[in-house]
Amino acid sequence: MSTQTTDIRPAPRADGDALLAVRDLTVEFGARKDPFRAVDGVSFDVRPGQIVGLVGESGCGKSVTSLAIMGLLPKRGNRISGSAVFEGTDLISLSDKQMRDRRGRDVAMIFQDPLSSLNPVIPLGIQVTEVMERHRGLKRKQAMPEARDLLEKVGIPDPNRRLKDYPHQLSGGMRQRALIAMALACQPRLLIADEPTTALDVTIQAQILTLLTDLVRDSGTALIMITHDLGVVAGMCDEVNVLYAGRIVERAARHDLFADPRHPYTYGLLGSIPRLDSPRGQRLNPVPGSVADNLPWTSACAFAPRCSQPIAQCREQSPELVETDPGLDGPRLLRCFNPITKETS
Amino acid sequence: MSTALDTTADRPAATGDALVEVRGLKVHFPIKRGVIFDKTVGYVYAVDGVDLQINSGETYGLVGESGCGKSTLGRALLQLEQPTEGTVVFDGTDLSTLKGEALRRKRKDMQMVFQDPLSSLDPRQTVEALLLEGMQAHGLTKDKAAAGARLRELLTAVGLPVAALKKYPHEFSGGQRQRIGIARALSVDPKLIVADEPVSALDVSVQAQVINLLESLQEQFGLTYLVVAHDLAVVRHISDRIGVMYLGALVEEADADDLYAEPLHPYTRALMSAVPVPDPVVEDKRERIILAGDLPSPANPPSGCRFHTRCPWRQPTRCDDERPELRVIDIPGATATHRVACHFAEQIRSGELQPHEVEATATDPNAVESDEHGPSAPASAVEI
Repeated sequence: MSTQTTDIRPAPRADGDALLAVRDLTVEFGARKDPFRAVDGVSFDVRPGQIVGLVGESGCGKSVTSLAIMGLLPKRGNRISGSAVFEGTDLISLSDKQMRDRRGRDVAMIFQDPLSSLNPVIPLGIQVTEVMERHRGLKRKQAMPEARDLLEKVGIPDPNRRLKDYPHQLSGGMRQRALIAMALACQPRLLIADEPTTALDVTIQAQILTLLTDLVRDSGTALIMITHDLGVVAGMCDEVNVLYAGRIVERAARHDLFADPRHPYTYGLLGSIPRLDSPRGQRLNPVPGSVADNLPWTSACAFAPRCSQPIAQCREQSPELVETDPGLDGPRLLRCFNPITKETS
Repeated sequence: MSTALDTTADRPAATGDALVEVRGLKVHFPIKRGVIFDKTVGYVYAVDGVDLQINSGETYGLVGESGCGKSTLGRALLQLEQPTEGTVVFDGTDLSTLKGEALRRKRKDMQMVFQDPLSSLDPRQTVEALLLEGMQAHGLTKDKAAAGARLRELLTAVGLPVAALKKYPHEFSGGQRQRIGIARALSVDPKLIVADEPVSALDVSVQAQVINLLESLQEQFGLTYLVVAHDLAVVRHISDRIGVMYLGALVEEADADDLYAEPLHPYTRALMSAVPVPDPVVEDKRERIILAGDLPSPANPPSGCRFHTRCPWRQPTRCDDERPELRVIDIPGATATHRVACHFAEQIRSGELQPHEVEATATDPNAVESDEHGPSAPASAVEI
């Protein structure tokens, strides 16, 4: 592919440069005898200033991954193993108190539903300044002008009035902007956005995504973008991880992934989406079946029953995530015995 | 943008005669205040003057953002909401003249598929009971054997195993539940199906399965659809004709291919440019029209053109004062079925008018009475 990316930052490649290195992250829920593995050995790196996408359908473990990194999963009823090393510290092994000192300062998160992430009985200004008071020791009076500037920066009109408003007085898009302002209040080096635009209308979604991309590019903050929408990923992520049933099945730079999807699941997902710019009248090619058909990863490929080109090996052996022939923009990892090639597609 | 291709071949040709004719439809919901006296302090203008026609055999797609009144329009069409004004003529009958039993009988011909498959299915009824209920109400189960055969035929048509009859809704996945919802709508052999966001609660891969199912059922049973959805890509894929709604009114109506090839209304342009395309090459090259601000409140719609508060092509005075009507504009390439409600559609298309910056206005979602704040955002959590 000969198109130029909008990415102008040098992309360091070596593992040592990683801001966040997630290794073999596994989260199990439920009884020890019969646990449910929501996340199953996920490993990925996020470098400073990079936008990394985690894509998958509901139940693939993308949100649980982010909650585990943020230390937001309840301590009871689940088991987390693996590591998430952020600037030399393993976030997974931190105590609650240690994590509280980091959350919001070094690592911040934006959630899907802006209304339920804001406190309904506290004015917006106090919620935005709270994080500055906690981490930077500012007094509320000192922090207020800064909060005002933040609200202005994220595109909230009339910020002075909004500081005194309660969340219910704001529209959905404004609330999401307010959440972004709160997340940016301490200039974190890593931002995790979990479906930040799913609850919003498309015109508002376009506003928010443009805002997020600009903020990240300007400040050099790294962003983990969690979404089910491949369109969103195509527009902004540098590197994309496709998750299926708790495991990463394919990782590639975004141009490589979309131009040449190698995993049958990625290929199937792309074929399932009606595109605004494709000719009409063509049937969609959905992935057949549902996640209920999945096989356990331990002894097979979970995706085999829904796969378009399974081979016998898929039901007998569990595929590993291995590096395959690299794409034009970077390395590619694939978990498949019989990947899609130019001929089979 | 690429030009549209003539690929409507595998769709059933619309027979051309109108199955549904909507004239000047308005649905206004009163806003009540007061404890002892139910004082009406204002109205939510959910649907405010819509004319449209749905031909038999075609799929009409209604697209718009939350709060634009698309769902209310769909429901008012089936007389599930009482229209404040205007008429709905279905299959030659003015539905507003029908009452009670006569209207109930008419419902056999017009069915609905809902957004949330779980909450629209009774959790205590088996699939068999769910499907039979409607048929019983319309006297279609007199012959037990025929009804049983019909049930199996329905399940096969929507791609469910016959064993599903004895199961309850919670035993199915989201996609399968939506299939049950579709089977229920089909059970009384309707002419029109109004599908309100039929796929938006589903995962992408399952979404495609249901879209394909809707298309093949249309071919099989010669159905007419009104598909209400917020996802322009889905609507464009499935519809023959599309109406774009903004704040209770249609702003543009066209054949699906024309609409994409040549969007004429500024709102349609903005909407299209905002839809993400799963292709980085396209995404990098696209020019986005980012609309400033939020949707104004339908309780307090702006004067003149409803879109003027956010429109990058807004011109002084006329856009603020005069409400544009849907009209066919006289430009080369525009078909007679392509109608747009914009005073300056010709000039915008020719490039004579250029977009300008729009200042996002501070909005107050709770404003009811007209005040100086101008537009306001939709009231929280009220999907209209």
